[in-house]
Order: sequence, then structure tokens, then C-alpha cells
Amino acid sequence: MEEELLRLQSEAKTELSTIIRPDELESFRVKYLGRKCTLTMLMRKLGEVSAQDRPRLGNLANSIKKEIEADFLEKEMALTQLQATGKGESRKDLTLPGRVIPFGRRHPVSQVMLEICRIFEGLGFAVAEGSDVETDYYNFEALNIPKHHPARDMHDTFYFDESVLLRTHTSPMQIRAMEKQEPPLRIIAPGKVYRCDSDITHTPMFHQVEGFLVDRHVSFADLKGVLSIFIAKMFDSNVAIRFRPSFFPFTEPSAEVDIACVICDGKGCRVCKQTGWIEILGAGLIDPEVFRMVGYDSEKFSGFAFGIGAERIAMLKYGINDIRLYYENDMRFLSQF
Amino acid sequence: MKCTLSWLRNYIECDLPTAKLVQGLVMAGLEVDSCQELFEYLNDSVRIVRIKSVRPHPQADRLVLCDVDAGGERVLRIVCGAPNARPGLLTVLALPGTSLPNGVIIKQSKIRGEISEGMLCSEKDLGISENNAGIIDLPDSYAVGEPLVDALDLHDTLLEVDITPNRPDCASVIGIAREIAGFAGKKLRVPVAQNLPALTGQNLPFSVAVDSAACPRYSARLLNDVTIAPSPWWLKKILLAVGLRPINNVVDITNFVMLEFGQPLHAFDFDRLAGAGIIVRQARPLEKINTLDGVARQLDPEMLVICDHEKPVAVAGIMGGSSSEVTASTKRILLESAYFDPVSIRRTVRKLNMSTDSSYRFERGVDPEGIPKALERAVQLIVELTGAKLVDDGIDLIQGLPEKKVIKLRVQRVSDLLGINISAEEIERLLLGIEIIARQIDELTFEVVPPTFRVDLEREIDLIEEIARLKGYNELPSTLPVTPMSFPENCPVRSLRDKIAATMVALGFYEAINYSFVSDHNVDLLGLAVQDKRRQQLRLKNPLAEDQNVMRTTLLPALLENVRRNINHQTSDLQLFEVGKVFLPQGGELPEEDERLTVVMCGRRYPGAPVLHYSANAVVDIHDIRGVVETILLQQACAGVIFDTDSVDEQLGEAGESVVLRANGRMLGGYGLVARNILKNFGIKQDVYFIDLSISLLSLIPPEPKTFRPLSRYPSVTWDVALVVPEAIKCGELLQAVHEAKEVLFEKVELFDIYQGNNIDKGTKSVALSITYRSADHTLEDDEVEITHKKIINLLISRFQGKLREV
Repeated sequence: MEEELLRLQSEAKTELSTIIRPDELESFRVKYLGRKCTLTMLMRKLGEVSAQDRPRLGNLANSIKKEIEADFLEKEMALTQLQATGKGESRKDLTLPGRVIPFGRRHPVSQVMLEICRIFEGLGFAVAEGSDVETDYYNFEALNIPKHHPARDMHDTFYFDESVLLRTHTSPMQIRAMEKQEPPLRIIAPGKVYRCDSDITHTPMFHQVEGFLVDRHVSFADLKGVLSIFIAKMFDSNVAIRFRPSFFPFTEPSAEVDIACVICDGKGCRVCKQTGWIEILGAGLIDPEVFRMVGYDSEKFSGFAFGIGAERIAMLKYGINDIRLYYENDMRFLSQF
Repeated sequence: MKCTLSWLRNYIECDLPTAKLVQGLVMAGLEVDSCQELFEYLNDSVRIVRIKSVRPHPQADRLVLCDVDAGGERVLRIVCGAPNARPGLLTVLALPGTSLPNGVIIKQSKIRGEISEGMLCSEKDLGISENNAGIIDLPDSYAVGEPLVDALDLHDTLLEVDITPNRPDCASVIGIAREIAGFAGKKLRVPVAQNLPALTGQNLPFSVAVDSAACPRYSARLLNDVTIAPSPWWLKKILLAVGLRPINNVVDITNFVMLEFGQPLHAFDFDRLAGAGIIVRQARPLEKINTLDGVARQLDPEMLVICDHEKPVAVAGIMGGSSSEVTASTKRILLESAYFDPVSIRRTVRKLNMSTDSSYRFERGVDPEGIPKALERAVQLIVELTGAKLVDDGIDLIQGLPEKKVIKLRVQRVSDLLGINISAEEIERLLLGIEIIARQIDELTFEVVPPTFRVDLEREIDLIEEIARLKGYNELPSTLPVTPMSFPENCPVRSLRDKIAATMVALGFYEAINYSFVSDHNVDLLGLAVQDKRRQQLRLKNPLAEDQNVMRTTLLPALLENVRRNINHQTSDLQLFEVGKVFLPQGGELPEEDERLTVVMCGRRYPGAPVLHYSANAVVDIHDIRGVVETILLQQACAGVIFDTDSVDEQLGEAGESVVLRANGRMLGGYGLVARNILKNFGIKQDVYFIDLSISLLSLIPPEPKTFRPLSRYPSVTWDVALVVPEAIKCGELLQAVHEAKEVLFEKVELFDIYQGNNIDKGTKSVALSITYRSADHTLEDDEVEITHKKIINLLISRFQGKLREV
């Protein structure tokens, strides 16, 4: 028995020393330390040896088992370390690319449109969408742009006939919404708009989000507050903003809103035409004439409206320098956003 | 509107640095488009010189050798090719080192063997004007050796100001100066006689009659003994700086005064006016006029014209006619200053498609009271610069000018709308800064009669805007509105569109956005049948391009175009989708706008994924595209959509490889392989699969409600079966039959193999199914599974003429 134990001990030692792979180590464990291993079998037979030898042999068997266990653990640790340092033989190449299941992306303009809507929805604005083909009445007349007004020069309009056209802005939704309900109302209207103009900074179709809020006691200060929140969320909470007077027939006072140029940080560059400022939206208090057209009492109610161009914001956010890229749908472009 | 800083400074003492001035204008609502230093490139090396002698160039017929006095000790030798080089000429020399605006740097050089120590310059060489007829010919009043920039006072700053349509008063240098006066707190100086002469129209050698309501004011004066000549340099310089071509002293003066006051003027050669008189009237049918730009124009009775006693001599407010044009031989001038109805002018501009500096101002509205001022100013300058003699009296006919309005302005209203507390005193002070006088009628109310040059001020809100503008938008506070909470309803098409787009993105598709207008030729490329409603296209009256002349009735052509474009750029594995509207005329005023999802898919199954892990050869097929359809419908929980595999209604698909989707008896769309002839028409040589679905219609199908089914605690059992059925049997129907058997123990069925070949009779196929059974309340025993399994198998065998496959 003693001989067998000692032989087992030396065999285990020899075998362990040759092991280099984890699977070999596992068969070693089964062979020498497993439930049905030789050592266990021998130890079961201890009952058969003489009582005089039993304690000695028992101790010997136990110490051999402990020794093999200790050696095994040591080897296991060594192998793990070997694996980690890359010296093992069967190491996986962890630098190979993953087995990706590719996902797609929304168009950058859609992403910006969704982001704009999300910000205003957070402020309690409802989203309403109108038709792209509009009547002259909703696109112009009701917005205080009568037939022979020079302000029509600001809109190069696509016509189908005398009175039907492609909307030049999403502002017709103001009229359609106000015709349908009484204040208070808080609505944004995202959508495509069209102007017959095409060059490096204009495409004949682009995207706008119109927004408006009508209630009692709405002031120009409220307009500034709401748009400041929008800009802080859309860009950066520290970006400088300025409101400057402008003209839109359907708002008064009217404003254009600039942010400090995101390209040069307001120092002046080609993008901001050396001014340090970039125009990002137009806004104003809704003109009493517009309220008159929808039958609201402008002594009782006031409101503000604004229009945001999505392409421009996407250009600023991503540094896109040619607006025409948006509608070519080149994968090399679409996959960047 | 362009003007130079030095010009502005004629009317206002303003020492603000340029940057501050520009900022002030911008914040006053006058956007400055550009601010540009003039003649920065000209320095001391460009000098006034006198040619002392001229000799022929020994080697070149067209060149001469000039000895030039540049004010230094030494006479300079210059080679020159100008026809007007002559001894005694006072002209301009660019010394070596000068860089000209065209990029040339002057060097001392040898020209055909002769040394030239600089270059004698034309006005064009120096960027002063377009005149390149010869080298500059200066009057003797300039000193030899003086740098040209100093002599001609060239250094200046040019501003280009963007004028909004409501501010015609700022389409003038005085108007802009007035705004500067407002924010800089300075006084404006306007250059006209304080007391304008009263024009009575008595005893004049000419007559004026106005016979149209579109001309409520017409003033005219006559000048005799005019000498037409080039303008003096100061006048030319101003016109050149703002981009106008100097013509002669009289025309230049009318242009100058128009820019100065914003009031367009017109000078007629009085001796060429038949009947020595002017009649202002509507044009007669078939009347014609040759305008100054050399074009013969057809007139109509909607147009206002200025006539002599025979014919039209000007299109009122837009352009004069050539018959009475001021020329070098003109001796007498009839000068016109008038107010024309803005709408009338605008209509004519549209009809004749001619817009001028003059019409720009009239159609926005000139100052009715500025008419005599501008007239006097021009008269003054003509007398001064041409030696003309002014005929004492003149004509000023006034009838039906816009009435002066009185506007009530409430202090409280100003505070409420701007969200500030502003005092009556501050309002009065701010308005006065831009010459608006507010008369206080009680503690909280003003009466304001706006100055006549501010045609935009008609209502209280217009004045409130002025107050906001003058106070400075950035000085106004920023607050948040207090509006009652409400729950915003979202529109169902929008929600569905965003959900579907999210699904498409998760499935690996990229969103494309294409123009809503396309070529009307697309429907032919698609080979649509004559009766297909997508052939009814809404046509644009004024498309930008022929390939954008109708509104799209399907999204597919543009997406195929995108595919072709990407293939051309070596990307042929593509998964694109677009969500957008198609436009279908429907009889009413506006077309139906149907929101659609269109998908195209071609090339490798997982574009962009490592080829290492996915086979490079695995290309998409009809099952991939169906998988996408199923995922969309599953995600929307849209039950009841029928896959009609036998229909030919979807003309976009290749026959036998496309499917029509229907619900509630309506066609939702379809999917499949894009018909190969269509692909050919679009120049695509690989298979492209598509989906085309109406989101609008899909949004009308209520999603199935989600109801919880208890989870069984007992294990399931899965039994396989292989059936041999005729080849023509559709496996989808087989699977559906298993579902429709509605066996209590049935949980799910999976089709795991279809086999044809050895051991299977020709004309048949083996279909292997894996059917899973489970009970909600006990562990299944083999014999009860067998009963159900057999029932299902027997059902399939009898329904599909099948038999069990022998192993």
C-alpha cells in the first residue's frame, strides 16, 4: 500500500510537470483528485490494512492528497497566468473583429428633427404635421402676406396653379391649428418645406420645425426664455445667444436668433462670415393680423412663433460643408452620423 | 443697400469704430452682409506722374517709351502700350513692388529689350472702375509725386446692408444714418434747403397732367442750358464704390440722390418730349416702349406710364424710355420726382420681369414728403455741377396720397407684450431718437403720428416693435410662459412612422431622404400600366429642373437612383429605407398625401459586418425581404395582413417573386424582387429587393391588444414529422393549417427542412416539421401527444395530398 501511494505521488508529480494545456489539467484533476480516482480508491482500502499501520498510512495518504491538490492549484494558477501573458499555445486571438449584427441609422436631418421635437415635447408642446402641398391662403394670405407684398420676394415659391403651391415654410400649421381650437395652445409642426433655390447653401427642399404658443399674457420675454432653453439643450448650455430685430410679416416684433459660431467659438471664421455669430432661427410675437384671420382677439391673447431649419443645425452640429450631400444618400455620408 | 462710411459721415458725426458701428446696425435690425476695406492694396507705390516725352519703342510698333516725372530727382523710363500716352499727360504710375488687384506684382523688367521701371495704369488696372480704354487721364489740379490713394481719397470702408421689405426708408444713406443717429445718440444733418420753394405750376413752358390714381404725387422742374459732361471725381467715386457705372453728370446726380434720399428721380431730355408736356396715365392696349436697356416692351392697361403728347416715354417708376434719354447733346432737362402706387409698380415689375433700383424703392413705398426734398437736392446739384439755369417755378401735383395715421400707444401694452416695466418717459425718449414724435395724451397713453418716411408704422404693435428694437432685444428679460398643463396628442401616422423607422434601423437599414419632386419620366421607367393611379402626377408650374417637374407618386425610383449612385461609388451591399409622402391627385384642391415606407435591399446579407464571420457569398433573397416585412408587422402587432402571393397588382415586382400585402380589403403595398426590366431601366445590374407600404393605411389597423397568457409549469414535448407532398404545395399554407387546427396541446411549429432528390418521387418534396406540444396543467404522456400529433398529420395528409416520408 505504501509503495502504491508513493508511486502515485511520483507519477502525479511527473505528469503534472508536463502539462501545458487547460484540458490536460482537467483530465489530471479527474485522474488524481476526482471522485473515482486511484488515490480515493486506495484510501477506501485503508480499512483493510492492519490497525497498527492504519494511522501512518492514513496520514501518508492525506498528506499526498494535500500535496497533489496544492501542486494542482499552483499549476492551474501558472497556466492561467501563462494564458493571460499570451504564451499559451491555444490562446484565442482577441483582436479579431466582433461578430457584429449591423444596425442602420436615421438620416442626420431626421436625427436633428427628432431631437428638436423631443426638446419641445419635453416643454409640453404637441406635435402636428400638415400637408406639403398648401393653398396660397394658408401659406401666405392668412399669414399677413397679401398677393402683391414685397415680402413674397423672401419666398421663391413652387406653384401648381394660381392658388396651390408647395409650402415655403411650416407656418401654415399655425393657421390650421388656430382655426381648429381656442387658446391655450402649444404646438410644434415639423416637416418638409420648399423654395425654388439651389446652390451650395440652398436645396429646393429642406426641413423646418415651426413652433407656436398662444395664451393670455404671453410676452417677448417668454419667447426668449423658451428659445434659450431650446438652444441650451440643442447645443451647449454655455453657448452665447443673441436676439436681433428682423422682419417676418406674420410676427411682430420679429427676431432672428444667432448663436456664437460653433466652428470658431465666436472668434470669426469663414462659416460665420467673420462675424462670430451664426443665425439659427427666426421668431417673434404672432402678429395681431394673423390672430384676426383666425378669429382670435389679440387684446385677450398673445403668443409667439418660431421656425427652425434642421439642415442648418445639422451642418453646425456635424460640420457638414455642402448642403447638397443631404439628398444624395451616399452610404459614405449616411454612415457617418 | 451699399454705402461707404465716408458717405455716411456726411450726414452724421459718428466716431464709433467700424466694428461697433456694424454691431449697432445689426442690433437695430439692419443686417450687415459685408464690411470691406476699399483699395487696401493701393499704397504709396502708386503715384501721380507726368509724362515728359514719348518715343517709339525700337522693337515694337504698339509700344512707346515714356520719360516720366514721378516727383523724384530722376526721370523714370516706362514702356507703355496705351493709345493715350502723350507728353504732358498727368497719369498714374505703379512702381515696382505694387500688387495689382488682378494679382500681378509690378517689377522692374525689360520689355522687348527696353527697361521699364514700373507700369502706367488704367482705372481698371487699379480696380477703380471697369474703364480700360487707356491710362488714367487726370486734370491738372493734382500734384506730381502724390500717392494716388491720398490724391483721390480712395481709402474707405464699404458696407453692404440687408434691408428687410418693411424698411424702404433704409434703402437710402440718410435712412441708415438716421438709424445710426438713433443708437449712437447723434444728430442727423440732411442736405436740403430748409425752406422748399412752393411750386405753383404757373406760367411754365411745360405742362403735366396726371390721369391715374396710381400716381398720387408728381413733381417736376425744368433746367435750361445744361452742359452734359462726366461727373466730378467725388461723385464718380461714390457711385463706383457702390457698384454703379458713372454715365454723365445729370444721370449720375439722379442716381446719387436716389441712393442718398431713397427717392428715385428721372431726367428727361425736355427737347425730345413731344408737345412739351407730361401725361401720367395707364398704358393703352398694344402700346409699346423701347426702354433704356435697349429692350422693346409690350405694355398693357394695368401698367402706369409716363407719356409725352404722343407716346409713352417711361414705364413709371421702373425705367425710362430711350426716346427721351439724356445724351451728350441734351440742353434742357425735365426732372421728375413722384410717388407711384407700390402695388401698381409691383404688378408691372412682375409682368415685365424687370426690377430696377428705382422699382425696388417704389414697390416698397417711398416717403411722400421726401419727393420735393429729393427734387430740390438734385436741382441744386445739377445747377452746381452742370451750370444749368433753373426755371423758377415747377409743378407739384398731389391727389390721394396715403393719409397720415394717428396711432394710439398704451404704455401698459408695451410692458405686457415685451415682458418689462417701461416708463412713459423712456418710450418717448426712445422713439424721439429716430424722429418719431409721441404725444402723451394721458398718463398711460400716447398719440403717435409716424413720420411719413416710415411707411411700415401703421399700428400700435409696429411702435411696440420699434421700442423693443431701440431698447435692444438683448436688454429684454428672459422668462418662461405659464401655460396650463395639457397632454399633447400625437398624430398616429407620425408615431407609426417613427416606430417603423426605429425597427428599420435596428434591422440594419439606413434612412435615405430624397426630394419630393421627381422626373415625370419615372413612371415610364417603372413601366406602370396606363390605368395605374401613380401615373396621375401633380405637375409643378415652375420646376427648377426637368428631372424635378412632378410630385412623386412612389418613393421607389429615387431609392433605385440612390442604389445606382452607391454602386457607382463601389458600395453594392445596400440596405436603405425612406419614410415619406407620395402625392396623389384626388379631385379636390389639394392632393392626397400618402405616407409610405419604401425599402431597398441588395448585395450581401449583412453589409458592413466582418466577412470573416459571415459568408461573403451570402446575398439577400426573397426570404430576407419577407423577414423584414414580418418584423415590421410583428412589431406593430398588425394581425390580419394578408400576403397575397398570386397577385399581379404590384407592378414594381418581378412576376413570381413579389407579393401583395392587403388588409381590410385594401392594398397596403407589396414586397419582392424589383422587376428586372425596371432595374435595367435604372442601370442596375444586380438584384434589388424592395418593400413598399402605406404607413397611412397601416396606421388605420388597430394593433392587437397585448394580453397575458399564463406560463405553463409543465415541460413541453417536441415531435418531428416528415411529409412528402406535391411540389406545388405552399409550405406557408401547410404551417397555417397546423395553426388553424387549434389543437389544445399545440404550442408551436417549426419548418426545419425541405428536401427534393434521392428517395423522393419526382414532382414531390419532403417537408420536415417540428411540432411542440405542452399542457397548462399536467406533464404530457406519450400516448396523448400521439393522438394530437396524429390528428395534425392526418389533417395535413388529407388537405395537401401528402404521405408520411418513409425513413
